[in-house]
Amino acid sequence: MVETQEITNKSHPEPIRLGREKSRTPSDKAFSGTIVIAALSSLAILVAILIYLASSSWPVLQKEGFDFITGSTWINSSANPDEQTFQIWPMLYGTFLNSMLALVIAVPVSILLAIFIVFIAPDRLSRTLTVLVDVLAAIPSGIIGLWGFLVFTPVAEGWSKLLNQYFFLIPFFRNDQDQFARSPFIAGWVLAIMITPIITVVAREVLSQTPQELLDAARGLGGSLWGAVKFVALPHARGGIVGGVMLGLGRALGETIAIYFVLNLIFEKVNYFQILNPQGGAIASMIVAKFGEATPDEIRALLGAGLVLFLMTLIVNLIANWIVARSVREKIA
Amino acid sequence: MNTQTLDTSTMKPQYPWKKSRPTVVIANSLIVVIPMSVYAFFFFFTDLPGALIFIAIFLPIQIAMAVIMTISALGKRRVGDAVLSVLSVTAFSLVLALLGSVLLSVAARGLPAMRFSFLTQNNIYISPTTELTYGGVGHALLGTLTVVAIGTVVAVPLGIASAIYITDMKGRLAGFVRFIVQAMSGVPSIVAGLFILAAFILTDFVGFSALTGGLAYAILMLPTVARTSEEVLKLVPKELRDAATALGSSRARVIMRIVLPTAKAGIITAVILGVARVVGETAPLLLTTSNTNGTNLNPFKDPVATIPVYIFQFLGSGYESSIQRAWGAAFVLMIVVAILFALTRVFSPKGKAR
Amino acid sequence: MTALQIDPTMKGNQVNISIVEDHQRLKLVDSVAHLETQGLYVWFGNRMILADINLAFPENSVTALIGPSGCGKSTFIRVLNRMHEFIPGAALAGKVFYQGKDIYDKDVDPVDIRTQVGMVFQKPNPFPTMSIKDNVLSGLRLAQIPFSNPDEIVESCLKKASLWNETKDRLNASAQSLSGGQQQRLCIARALAVNPKVLLMDEPCSALDPGSTRHIEETIRDISKDMTVVIVTHNMQQALRVSDYTAFFLALDGNPGQIVEAGLTKDVFKNAKDPRTHDYVNGLFG
Repeated sequence: MVETQEITNKSHPEPIRLGREKSRTPSDKAFSGTIVIAALSSLAILVAILIYLASSSWPVLQKEGFDFITGSTWINSSANPDEQTFQIWPMLYGTFLNSMLALVIAVPVSILLAIFIVFIAPDRLSRTLTVLVDVLAAIPSGIIGLWGFLVFTPVAEGWSKLLNQYFFLIPFFRNDQDQFARSPFIAGWVLAIMITPIITVVAREVLSQTPQELLDAARGLGGSLWGAVKFVALPHARGGIVGGVMLGLGRALGETIAIYFVLNLIFEKVNYFQILNPQGGAIASMIVAKFGEATPDEIRALLGAGLVLFLMTLIVNLIANWIVARSVREKIA
Repeated sequence: MNTQTLDTSTMKPQYPWKKSRPTVVIANSLIVVIPMSVYAFFFFFTDLPGALIFIAIFLPIQIAMAVIMTISALGKRRVGDAVLSVLSVTAFSLVLALLGSVLLSVAARGLPAMRFSFLTQNNIYISPTTELTYGGVGHALLGTLTVVAIGTVVAVPLGIASAIYITDMKGRLAGFVRFIVQAMSGVPSIVAGLFILAAFILTDFVGFSALTGGLAYAILMLPTVARTSEEVLKLVPKELRDAATALGSSRARVIMRIVLPTAKAGIITAVILGVARVVGETAPLLLTTSNTNGTNLNPFKDPVATIPVYIFQFLGSGYESSIQRAWGAAFVLMIVVAILFALTRVFSPKGKAR
Repeated sequence: MTALQIDPTMKGNQVNISIVEDHQRLKLVDSVAHLETQGLYVWFGNRMILADINLAFPENSVTALIGPSGCGKSTFIRVLNRMHEFIPGAALAGKVFYQGKDIYDKDVDPVDIRTQVGMVFQKPNPFPTMSIKDNVLSGLRLAQIPFSNPDEIVESCLKKASLWNETKDRLNASAQSLSGGQQQRLCIARALAVNPKVLLMDEPCSALDPGSTRHIEETIRDISKDMTVVIVTHNMQQALRVSDYTAFFLALDGNPGQIVEAGLTKDVFKNAKDPRTHDYVNGLFG
């Protein structure tokens, strides 16, 4: 006969709870607390930026309403505060135009360069080019601006004249001032130089992670290198590349100094598509241009412009990061 | 059974796929030579500008040659490869040319300004007509150093703490913090400057000074430091942490005494990358440190000169001598960036540097 | 038939070969070798992986390549469709004849070879961004072979790969929605669409369930009526079920891999001439 013993709760010891231990010692608590506070500082900063920019510029924004972004007048007489009007549409549109031009130039060049580095170039050239792209990324925007104005502009003026000479039938390339320096076209080129490393680095990273087995399959089926790139590598890298392009866009939207000297800011008239005209806009450059002699209300308006810029770049960056994250998740799934 | 010895040492590895048919070699040479000759012809014997010849004549001919030669030498299937090669080589040449132009211009135009006095003097008595042997970037160099130092002191602890939170403490908000840090990396430099302007200067809390500039820089540095530190901390093997914990270390000790020291080189890289990210930024400084021609040793009060603003100032003035000073300052800045760039490669040979 | 016995006491570059009978290639009466290697040596860097491989594959037959892991079988078949050269440091010497011409000749376009000598890999690798239908057609598009009847091709290839019934209602679904075994059959359909004359299969069933394995073995028997199949396998029973010929690879103690015995499958398995072959096929070592 087997004797069974009843196991009751009373005789059973307390189960040990596994899992995250709560720190007991005060020093540990202090440490954790410090870390948490420090980590949340980023959030605090972002929120603070939003709050300070919004609250400082609120009087002007409230007065202008939506016209702040859609209107084109800018009057800053401190003598007659009621007449003051601050509207940034020409600058807003100009920012958009410059960035689009920059993308048109930078995206094909960056992707081709990334494909070249990952699939075509021999090892040593590949590594050298990667370093060179990093070097380009490290060049400060002030120096690009300096070079852009003093060295590049004369050359780009020549290109502009050619475009105007041979393609004047296309409205884009009409010029009604016979002056070709400091145009959105040139600003677009300078921005393109700034954002090419950003896009190239991301594209290169994503393309080099194409699963070898898929490339093998493509080659094994009789595909050429271009076939493997077109059918396998690029579709696989699509999410990452789009994310990289958007990161570049975010950078182009906020760039101030590189194009400050290279673009002629006209604050009250919009240049919609005549990219060879020396007339353009850029929010960030406007802030710098007007800051030196701004009246107090004007400073509020500039802060408001900064708020608009902040929100624009924040949204673009969030979308970019979401796209990249989603494409990575899809691959793991 | 006869036994034979097969001496395999006489067989040498060969690479039959590397042999090129003469036809292919000729085709490849023609793809390069013919367009270049046509380019040269037009360049030297007509008045057409180089860029026009390049776009309208050289490129189309090269693409056409690539297509024709490929079809005749290798068959229609490889045309995509040929066109891809031509276009990507063009892209890489363009980028190389622009990069080279920037670096060469800075070197060629900035070098003549280099002399000891340039690096040490300030510009307090300098006017546009003063000779170039007087005046310099000494004050600006000092200012940049100060502003960067302040930024580092603020951003590095916060950045490392964020990284620790994400990797070692795996707090509930870890994913959220990561997301916020990423969002922060997209903040334009001018917005960082505007924020500090609005929050500290316009509220009369502090004035234009190195301090406010440093705070603006800190905002820009923080995401870089945090992200790189996170990647570096992730590389510390779990076993190390487990061993320390098993020995009875508190979490704080594990992190401070074991994890961080192990990741030391990577953390240093993170700091250097943060500095490199920010050292040439002009826009935030225009709004926070303002500018001066003299040397200001007080980081908490009164404007301070910095190299990027120096460049901005002298580029904007338009005089020939000022332009030369601007190039000189640009050269100094490039040297600083080059040193930082080299340092990141020294501290992380595995290519963590990005 | 040649049985090569390797004396493991020899070291370095010298390999003792005992030749039991004089025979340098497989021959079935009246059959012409479709694909054959002569004096093939293969290296990675300076390390010789395969030595003196002479193997002929008769047309429209199935040949199984068996042998312990690591003796170079997978490397060998990659030599046959010129994928070996993609690996950095790869080298080879000797000749590989396909339809009488050396595929490593200067005049030969490797891309061309790969459309005639197809490959199915060990781990199923359908293109994840494409639908089932597009996957089947992808080979044709990659090889730039024009076609005008996509639906027929898709149906016929999926039928040959025993996948039609399971997918005919969802041809536009993503390839990722298929199970592992189904994905492998999709890869086979994809390879068949290009209409190769030779199909190389690198342990195609090693990661699959028995049901899919059965389907694939049926497919192999079917397609071997019109094409030459070379299959690397670790599964003795599979080799017995599926192949007409078998070649036994062995690499001893750091020596390069060699063919110990080759011939009709039933002979190699039931009447092995070499004791090592006998031991291996009876599971005495793996």
